[in-house]
Amino acid sequence: MTESRPIDPQWAWAEYQPSDERPWNRRLAAHLFRRAGFGASWEMLAEAVARGPAEVVTDLLEPVDAQQAAQDAFAEAILAGGDPRQLAAWWVYVMLQTPTPLLENMTLFWHGHFATSAEKVTDARAMYAQNALLREHALGSFRLLVHGISRDPAMLIYLDSATNRKAHPNENFARELMELFCLGEGNYSERDVKELARCFTGWELRRDRFRFNRYQHDNGDKTVLGKTGPFPESDVIDHVLAQPAAPEFIARKLIRFLVADEPVPPDELVAPIAGQLRASNWDVGQAIGTILRSNLFFSPYAIARKVRSPVDVTVGLLRSLEATTDAARLASELGDLGQGLFYPPNVKGWDGGRTWINSSTLLGRANAVGRLIRDPKTRFRGGDLATYFTEHLGAETGEQVVDVLTQLTLAVPVSEPLRDQLIEVAERPGPRNERLAAVVHALGTLPEFQIG
Amino acid sequence: MNRRSTRRDFLQSTLGTSAVISLGGLVPACFRNALAEDNNGGETVLVVVQLSGGNDGLNTVIPFDDPLYRQNRPTLAVPAPDGLTIDNGLGFHPAARGLADLLENDQLAIVQGVGYPDPNHSHFESMDIWHTCQRKRKESPRKTGWLGRFLDGTSTAGDPAGLHLGSKKQPLALAAANTRVPSIRSLERFRLQGDEDHEVRQFVGSLAGDQPTGADDLLSFVQTSTTAALSASERVEAARRDYQTPVTYPEHALGHKLRTVAQLIDAGLRSRVYYVELDGFDTHSQQAAAHAALLGQLGDALSAFVEDVHHHGHGQRVLVMAFSEFGRRVKENASKGTDHGAAAPLFLAGERVKGGLHGARPDLTALEEGDLKFQTDFRRVYATVLENWLGVASNPVLGSDYRPLDVLNNVS
Repeated sequence: MTESRPIDPQWAWAEYQPSDERPWNRRLAAHLFRRAGFGASWEMLAEAVARGPAEVVTDLLEPVDAQQAAQDAFAEAILAGGDPRQLAAWWVYVMLQTPTPLLENMTLFWHGHFATSAEKVTDARAMYAQNALLREHALGSFRLLVHGISRDPAMLIYLDSATNRKAHPNENFARELMELFCLGEGNYSERDVKELARCFTGWELRRDRFRFNRYQHDNGDKTVLGKTGPFPESDVIDHVLAQPAAPEFIARKLIRFLVADEPVPPDELVAPIAGQLRASNWDVGQAIGTILRSNLFFSPYAIARKVRSPVDVTVGLLRSLEATTDAARLASELGDLGQGLFYPPNVKGWDGGRTWINSSTLLGRANAVGRLIRDPKTRFRGGDLATYFTEHLGAETGEQVVDVLTQLTLAVPVSEPLRDQLIEVAERPGPRNERLAAVVHALGTLPEFQIG
Repeated sequence: MNRRSTRRDFLQSTLGTSAVISLGGLVPACFRNALAEDNNGGETVLVVVQLSGGNDGLNTVIPFDDPLYRQNRPTLAVPAPDGLTIDNGLGFHPAARGLADLLENDQLAIVQGVGYPDPNHSHFESMDIWHTCQRKRKESPRKTGWLGRFLDGTSTAGDPAGLHLGSKKQPLALAAANTRVPSIRSLERFRLQGDEDHEVRQFVGSLAGDQPTGADDLLSFVQTSTTAALSASERVEAARRDYQTPVTYPEHALGHKLRTVAQLIDAGLRSRVYYVELDGFDTHSQQAAAHAALLGQLGDALSAFVEDVHHHGHGQRVLVMAFSEFGRRVKENASKGTDHGAAAPLFLAGERVKGGLHGARPDLTALEEGDLKFQTDFRRVYATVLENWLGVASNPVLGSDYRPLDVLNNVS
């Protein structure tokens, strides 16, 4: 969005209609899959091009639970061990296998939004339960999600609210509910924090479960965000969500996640999505549908306007090559690259955008791609890289290999000299598997590879 | 062969190294430096230690003689220990033995009650204020930090202007318009791996010269960052050599990071700013043990570092500044912890500090919303560091005039 002329909101959120000037093609389909969830294989792209954008988005939003049982069985086995670090491996496995990548991507989005770290919580079962809560509402009702999270044991442990007594209200959860979860900084006062904290007194954990302790609850009147009353039960959460700042805050964050890192979308662009969230009683899936079908989403304002996260880069590469790998190893690599699943850096989650990038993470990304692609446990549709390229991608020559790979993995077209150099790497002498690995590794070092 | 290979060949033959990465047309400064013999008389260096989460200043530099301290801290008040007295009825937390040792050697300046007007109680907002010296403004995000603005005006002859040591995201303080500050997780990981014949290295190096410049978009940001990463990786690799020190650092992350900083300073790296973090100060519950452990780590690591740079002859040009985004509420909460507060002490350590207490002591009888009122604006500390340590005018960096404090000695 470097263009400075204002964007017409009506045009922006109207449904994109393929035309001769703006044809629906493999490049746009790859953009859609990269943003919605971790990229797509060559075969999926061809299928998507044939079906058209509207149908593909509808499909992405459709819940499928074919693999749910298998995933739960895997999770049970890990939970029996009790180590939350193993959970990260489970989630990587799910991301690689899932038939519903948008659901998984949005679950990751909410994990960053309601950031809770196993570093402090330490209880794998509580972290898993929170993850299930995020997934349950990831494309559903944000309102129900906030109500759920405010009684979620992992969150209460993380924000020091496992005990919360009338005489000494703990401000931590109250503050973050307004600052990070619902309204954003600047939309409440310090007094609101103190008064809201009183509303949550008596909300506590007992034997790892949420309970309301009426003996520790402050029944007096509180004045929160301009309204006075006793705010029984969870009424105050709906009062916070009724603030005009709430849907704007969530809409802005969704647009940043799905459309572009920079700049902050102007208010008039946020308003229609915020309005839709409010009118639909917080139906997030509906808002995401509008965004993913929009003119704006398929325009230069969105394409190649995000720095890819470590998950986008690694899981995206593997999914686009239909690969499986050592999930535990990849999970630990993600931690090194700054996106440890179940271990966000703090309650604000991952800032994303330019903050993903620094010298260590850039070298780390290149190193991670090199290791992943050469790991003997990484299998491409069950076989090795050479077989995959020949049999499933029909790419034999260096030129074919580079063209398929760049279309699969890059949002930015490569320059002619760069393409030539990649072809040169592909055509050097040596075993074919190592040749192909070297090309992928080289791609992983490119600045273009970090943009999606 | 194309022209890029020619340049690579040139560098290889000139410098006699086998895995040199060419860095575009403007390369060779850093390689010249790498070959030049380093001397120890480099420029002043600032090491920032960020205490993340909000350090409980009241339980770090403790007013043992104030009855209000005990009243407000029924379970967290620390009994006055022996031998850790500072002055005026103040003393260190017993775990902060390392800080007391530094003070005894005249190597620690304590600036009391540091903060800013209308304190913000959000970790992120308050940290951003410390990092950028700017309040939040709608529609105009803060893009640069105070150290980044300083670094943009420095020249370090091919070395990274500043270095961040840590695996977390880079602090906003280091964000600059034109300078990319590398983050280093560990020296071992800070290089391209996985292709033993250096094929990928050469490939990437050969591309760096093709970069477009100017446009402030994401791709050019990543391109300049990639160039900076490769350059810093080469330079740090070159600076890595056997490092000998008689000083024993404590075995924890902060100790390891400060040891690496000492190593890089001694290796002759021209970086002016090093940035490290110690996290965990957000002690809302069960504070006592956690906070004591952190103060122990901070004190032990700082005293080892100051001794180490002294031993290697760099003591006169190294200054450490340890700060936190805020202190904590005076009255403890029901979870045997403390909530977010405001003013807190800030520490400057090194051979050239004027040891002892500076600035007015916060008054426990005159609180603001339950918090200590600030006595010294943090931007006065920054002005001190910029003017009297790093040797630049502070106004362009801070955006306004702040009077420096008298806490540093001239070169002895």
